[in-house]
Amino acid sequence: MIRPRIALGIRAQLLLVLTVFLAIPWLGYEYVRELERFLRDAQERTLAGTAQAVATALHDRSGLFDVLETPLETLPSERASDDVAARPNTAVDTLASPEIAQILHGLSRTTARIWVVDREQHVLARAGSLKRPEPGSAGGAADTSRVGAWLDREVLQPLYAKVLQQPTEDFSDERAGRTVAAGKDLEGALAGILTIDRRPSADGKAIIVSAAHPIWVGDEVKGAVIVEETTNAVLAERNRAFARLFNIVLAALLVGSVALTLYASWLSSRIRRLRDEAEAAIDARGRVRRPLTGSNAGDEIGDLSRSFGSALARLTEYASYQEAMASRLSHELRTPIAVVRSSVDNLALQQLPADARIYIERAQQGLSRLANIITRITEATRLEEGLAEAEGERFDLARVIAGCVDGYRAAYPAQVFELQVPSGEVPYFGAPELIAQMLDKLCANAVEFATPGTPIVVALKREETGFRLSVGNEGPTLPPTMQGRLFDSMVSVREKRGDGEPHLGLGLYIVRLIAEFHGGRATAANRADVQGVTVSVVLPLVRAVR
Amino acid sequence: MSRRIAIVEDEPAIRGNYADVLRKQGYEVAAYGNRADALAAFRTRLPDLAVVDIGLGDDIDGGFALCRELRALSATVPIIFLSARDSDFDIVAGLRLGADDYLTKDVSLPHLVARIAALFRRADLLAAPQASEEILERGPLSLDLKRLTAHWAGNRVDLTLTEFWMVHALARFPGHVKDRDSLMRDAKIVVDDSTITSHIKRIRKKFLALDRKFDCIETVYGMGYRWNPAEG
Repeated sequence: MIRPRIALGIRAQLLLVLTVFLAIPWLGYEYVRELERFLRDAQERTLAGTAQAVATALHDRSGLFDVLETPLETLPSERASDDVAARPNTAVDTLASPEIAQILHGLSRTTARIWVVDREQHVLARAGSLKRPEPGSAGGAADTSRVGAWLDREVLQPLYAKVLQQPTEDFSDERAGRTVAAGKDLEGALAGILTIDRRPSADGKAIIVSAAHPIWVGDEVKGAVIVEETTNAVLAERNRAFARLFNIVLAALLVGSVALTLYASWLSSRIRRLRDEAEAAIDARGRVRRPLTGSNAGDEIGDLSRSFGSALARLTEYASYQEAMASRLSHELRTPIAVVRSSVDNLALQQLPADARIYIERAQQGLSRLANIITRITEATRLEEGLAEAEGERFDLARVIAGCVDGYRAAYPAQVFELQVPSGEVPYFGAPELIAQMLDKLCANAVEFATPGTPIVVALKREETGFRLSVGNEGPTLPPTMQGRLFDSMVSVREKRGDGEPHLGLGLYIVRLIAEFHGGRATAANRADVQGVTVSVVLPLVRAVR
Repeated sequence: MSRRIAIVEDEPAIRGNYADVLRKQGYEVAAYGNRADALAAFRTRLPDLAVVDIGLGDDIDGGFALCRELRALSATVPIIFLSARDSDFDIVAGLRLGADDYLTKDVSLPHLVARIAALFRRADLLAAPQASEEILERGPLSLDLKRLTAHWAGNRVDLTLTEFWMVHALARFPGHVKDRDSLMRDAKIVVDDSTITSHIKRIRKKFLALDRKFDCIETVYGMGYRWNPAEG
């Protein structure tokens, strides 16, 4: 019996547990974000440091700011669409002050853009660019395997691109061409305070961090140095760290889940094998068919299989004890009965007064009833023994059944028997005396339950694969709870009746044994036409090999 | 000189009862409770007939061993197994060891006495020269009702008493169906139906061993058995 109720196998359960590890990428993401914050702080500090350094170079050099230049429109302007890669970062735009430009020139080897602005916010000089050359694709992760590379390129990178903000050099740099600078940072610096600002580019594609430092000439703020940079470098670093981390976690998860799945498959296959063995070991009637071969494994499943095995062994012992019980019981009873019988017989041979004879007669009647019970008890056991040696032969099934029914008509004169057999010979391979014994039991049963005056129908019908022998009677129907157990040993639906005949519930059990010997099956059902019961035995033509 | 019957039976009450009834019949009875005592006594003096139980106390198959040993001492002493065991296996095993009959303890004392008397008669007449004849002839079958022996086409059929009485009951009225009850009555046994079936099977086998075309005992299903006169 396989119960299809297993909703979630061990494998599925383990994989479900594995989802806990999906928290690891999230933890990694949090860690990388922390790293990003740290990098940003460092970036801001660096920018502030650079601004301070430039400003320090320009402090107290009032001459630099005295000259006022105006021709702004002649200066080249930088546009967002420019081919930034072609333009060297070190280029210094000299807007108004060549001297300052010269100083800046020495400092412009950074990824930052440096402005020098006077008090009127006129740009005096500018160096560097916000836009960095795009990193070449060849600089990607050094994946040795092509599958790994493909996976990285085609699956993971697009995925990361969706999850993470990607740095781009394609943003609008609205300050680039200005000759008049403005902004919170500048305002702060002109007020004499080192100011750090963070603002999105005009189109929002990049974040620009800037630091502005005032330039002092004496006690007066003469101008300011602005150093600005995009956060792209930080973003790129963060993304790279995240991708690396995620790749590792993914690989670990993949390997882990494959290993766990294999392990779970192994476990569940062992358990399934144990289940199949346990189910095969016991047949539908609860008999132990064959012992369980306990596994040698030292773990809990091996333990379970061994305890299953020993439980089955004990069950076998108990079953054989139970089976031997009937014959042992009858054997043990026979001796005391023989004592009583021989004593009574001895007594009967004595010269006894006539009124004593009646007691001897009663004792002998009681003894023969007792002997009858014992014979019935052993009948099933003897039949089981006999079946092992019974041989089949070809015979006419219809003739055997008709003969038996003739016998019943003589044995039960008050009972009407209706016989329905196919005309002509019905050849069958089996044990005729067993068939007769089976019919005896069926008819004895039917006679007992039949409503007086109603016929018992004994019918033999051809079916596709064999014959159906049925005995039907009118009378009380079967209690529904008994349907499946009628053919078990020692099961009886009879009410107690004081007619002296023992009811051991072995009749239909014998029917079943004989039906099964012929490879057939016995069933009982309530009749549809009238109130009553029909017991049928299917006798297949091809006998099961025994 | 009265005949000497040995009873080997471990249950004292049964042993006593059997001994009493046989003594009343005029037999001399020697009763033994175990195999060793019985064998020692047999070695000294052979009984004229032995009634042996199979299980002798802890000696589960002691009766079988005793039967073998007694047969070794004498080929002719009639031996009856009287046991609570009624499986076909035990019956066949007992008869193979050379017992003349196998009875279960369901047998009544009068039946037992009749059987013992019949066995003595058979033993006597087998030893005596051909005297008066009381023969039942049915074609190739001839039953000597005095000696309780059966012949088929001149060959001796080695039947036990039970089997002989069954064959006699059937062959007396050829064509008439004998039901199981009357067969039991005639054979002076009380057994269940399946034991009758195995008795009939054994009888058929014994005849078939002599004549492969033997087909005289017909099973009439639901009724019993019938002796059909042999053709030809």
